[in-house]
Amino acid sequence: MFSYISKRLLYFIPTFFIISFAAFGLSKMAPGDPVRLALGASDTGAGQSTEMMANEQAYYDMAEKLGMNLPTFYFSFTSAAVPDTLYRIVKSAERDNLARLIDQYGNWPQIEKYYHSLKAIEVGLFSITGDSSNFAQKNKVRQNYGALLATYEHDRIEFAIGQMVEAVQIPTMAPIKAQVLQVEQSYKDVVAMATPSKNLIPSFQWFGFNNQYNFWMFGNAPLFSNPEEHPNKGYGFLRGDFGISYKDKRPVTSKIGEAIGWTLMLNMIALTLSYLISIPLGVQTAVHKDSRFDKVSTIIMFALFSLPSFWIATMLINYFTTSQYGMNLFPTFGVSSPSINENSSFFAFLLDRIHHLILPIFCMTYGSFAYLSRQMRGGVLSVLRMDYVRTALAKGLPHEKVIWKHVFRNSLIPIITLFAYLFPAAISGALIIEIIFQIPGMGKLSYEAIIGRDYPIVFTVLMFSAILTMVGNLAADMMYALVDPRISFSKK
Amino acid sequence: MATKEIPVTVKKDQDQSYKAIVVRQFKKNRSAVWALRFLFFIIGVGVFADFLANEKPLYAKFEGVTYFPVFNQYAIDLGIATKPERFNTIYDWKKVEYESVIWPPIPYSPTTQDKLNRDYKGPFEEQRVESTRFKHWIGTDKLGRDVMAGLIHGARVAMLVGVVSMSIASFIGIILGSFAGYFGDDKLKVTRITLILMLLTLPFAWFFGFQVRSYAIADSLNGGLLVLIGQMFFSLIIAAAVLLVPYLISRPLKRFPALGKQITIPVDILVSRFIEIFVSLPSFLLILSIIAILKAPNLYLVMAIIGLTSWTGIARLIRGELLRVRNLEYIEAAHALGYSQARTIFRHAIPNSLTPVLISIAFGVAGAILTESFLSFLGVGVPPEQVTWGSMLSAARSVPQAWWLAIFPGFAIFITVTIFNLMGEGLTDALDPRLKK
Repeated sequence: MFSYISKRLLYFIPTFFIISFAAFGLSKMAPGDPVRLALGASDTGAGQSTEMMANEQAYYDMAEKLGMNLPTFYFSFTSAAVPDTLYRIVKSAERDNLARLIDQYGNWPQIEKYYHSLKAIEVGLFSITGDSSNFAQKNKVRQNYGALLATYEHDRIEFAIGQMVEAVQIPTMAPIKAQVLQVEQSYKDVVAMATPSKNLIPSFQWFGFNNQYNFWMFGNAPLFSNPEEHPNKGYGFLRGDFGISYKDKRPVTSKIGEAIGWTLMLNMIALTLSYLISIPLGVQTAVHKDSRFDKVSTIIMFALFSLPSFWIATMLINYFTTSQYGMNLFPTFGVSSPSINENSSFFAFLLDRIHHLILPIFCMTYGSFAYLSRQMRGGVLSVLRMDYVRTALAKGLPHEKVIWKHVFRNSLIPIITLFAYLFPAAISGALIIEIIFQIPGMGKLSYEAIIGRDYPIVFTVLMFSAILTMVGNLAADMMYALVDPRISFSKK
Repeated sequence: MATKEIPVTVKKDQDQSYKAIVVRQFKKNRSAVWALRFLFFIIGVGVFADFLANEKPLYAKFEGVTYFPVFNQYAIDLGIATKPERFNTIYDWKKVEYESVIWPPIPYSPTTQDKLNRDYKGPFEEQRVESTRFKHWIGTDKLGRDVMAGLIHGARVAMLVGVVSMSIASFIGIILGSFAGYFGDDKLKVTRITLILMLLTLPFAWFFGFQVRSYAIADSLNGGLLVLIGQMFFSLIIAAAVLLVPYLISRPLKRFPALGKQITIPVDILVSRFIEIFVSLPSFLLILSIIAILKAPNLYLVMAIIGLTSWTGIARLIRGELLRVRNLEYIEAAHALGYSQARTIFRHAIPNSLTPVLISIAFGVAGAILTESFLSFLGVGVPPEQVTWGSMLSAARSVPQAWWLAIFPGFAIFITVTIFNLMGEGLTDALDPRLKK
């Protein structure tokens, strides 16, 4: 048994890392710039030069704080055309666009020159004092400069460069004429000296341990150090540093800590209720097999099992929480009324809570209760077929006693162990209900984080639900072995 | 060696083959049989959706010319016909003055916006339609789209979700599960040199198949399912071609005893571990996060992702079956006849263990339809103009008085899910060995 548990715990490690790769890879593939998300404000690129420089500085500071200026992973296995320094271009949109250009032309030296000549225009634009004579031209250059940073299609680049060259023909734009012509020339070089075949040569690059994944997982603070000594260092996921939410800058730990309480409470209530109803119901239907009671309840259980909970939730909200149908019995959303505050009595508080939670808990309960009672019925039926039950009846034991002492106990085993499987499933199942009823639990938190690309939270939630699933599966297997001596995990 | 079938001398109802017993058992289950009939009905609705609900007439004669607009649209989509000139100037098919016309039962497409009946017209409210022929039988939504037309075309989406996601899941599950079950931990032997060369070439196969073509694949995401499958298939062929190289190189090298030593690959352990890891993934959150990073919502991709995350049950079943089958005499006979491994697995072992997988597929379809409709309910992964049961249901959330938007699509989901669950139950009972006598 011990060796079995330790073996299973060992399997946690690869699973944990595979999920971390998946979560990390997903965040890298997501569109949008995490640094910009974390900064919150979207800088438009326009405005005074000093303001823009400040924005740039803030951008690089944030990138460094998030570790986004590091290489992505320990190694890369790309084509020889991709330089090993591409990660140093921090802005993800520009980097992705350059990668596309490399994929098309395969000549990094020329592309790099083109990129730098393009960047020079940005600086050059500030040296021109804007007035009414060059306002339109200056805008044209700026727009096309932005377009060039985001496009890799030949026709569009030609068009944008053409527009820029046209705009710098007037004398007041002369200071950046040279830069624009330089862009035109360097792009011509890119096309002329293209080596797309370089994209077919694989190349392996090792970046070392100073990379984004390593930073997220292990942090960059010294191994045994006090967080107060290094306030600007990351401690990494494994040391409990889950980062800061992009959305409201609060630590992920505290956000999840608040949310998990709600989810746990809802699930505990819902699961307890389903067990309390389903066990007696399952026994009764199995004992009175083929009676009318059994037939009707079997059909109802089956229907409940197939009823989509988001449909039921929508209908309940529509019909029981609005005055539309004259049945405004429950509050629509949330977990408490605005009238309840610290001064309210505990009883009023409790009543208000219950009032808010009846509908969500009903929606969470009926599905698992239907499933459980069907399982319970099946379990009792299979035990009833056993020889020892027949023996007990044959030797004249009262029917009731056989049912509750012999059958009930033995058929309870699979139902109890189902708990460990149900629990992790319930956590993600609560997602549906939490979103519809606006309950601030884990489900709502993770859904909003995924939609809002708040990756520090998404990472943490994904990792924790995976751990919970693994622990749940292990616990279920353990319980099987504990309650049923016929099951043994040690090799004989 | 081809064997002719032995002429059947027993009467059909005495047929004692496994399949016949299963079919007989299944037929005894009345609710499952009814579920199957309903399923045929829903499949029919899905397949003929364009003929059941369409804003274009099935047959129309105007200005002295006869048209078959719905058929014509199919021909255009297939590229075997061109759009008649006259059609370009028709903006509303209801306004055309017909000499004679046959409308589909529901004369609206799911996307048709009936401007006169906007803002949630209920079935019992007064509707501004020409005649009862054009009535919105179960109401309209905010944009004046017919709910019945949406239900009919939603059936197609639901069936597609089931077919696409479960095909993917079955493909992966059957391949992985059968390899694990058939080879076990002791049957797959390769020479040392082949293994080493293969492992060394694997990164290159990935590089040429997927890394080099990553932009082509990424761009194909916007081009629909067939383009994506085509691109993926092409990538797989390239990867397979690259892996052929070490295989060919290793053939002459096998003769050296040090290199040609046989190594057993524990396929079962590897696959089982892989399944174990996969089961631990929080699948719904994962699906949600994958779909959230897509640049453009795409229904087919949603189906594919659902399929990619739900193959483990099938793989486990097939593995268990094949662990049993591989020790049976007929597999031994296949070996004795000198059949190749591939032929034994695909022609003899797998077909005989597929029946239990049907159970898993039936329940899997129910789950896939639920997942998809919940995703559309949340508005994730569906293009805004696409009408699905889930997206119709979500409209009911903001407008409680539109009860028809909550009842009908929800009921459609419920019925479909129930049908598949009933069939899964029926199959479970029919395949139960205790019932075989």
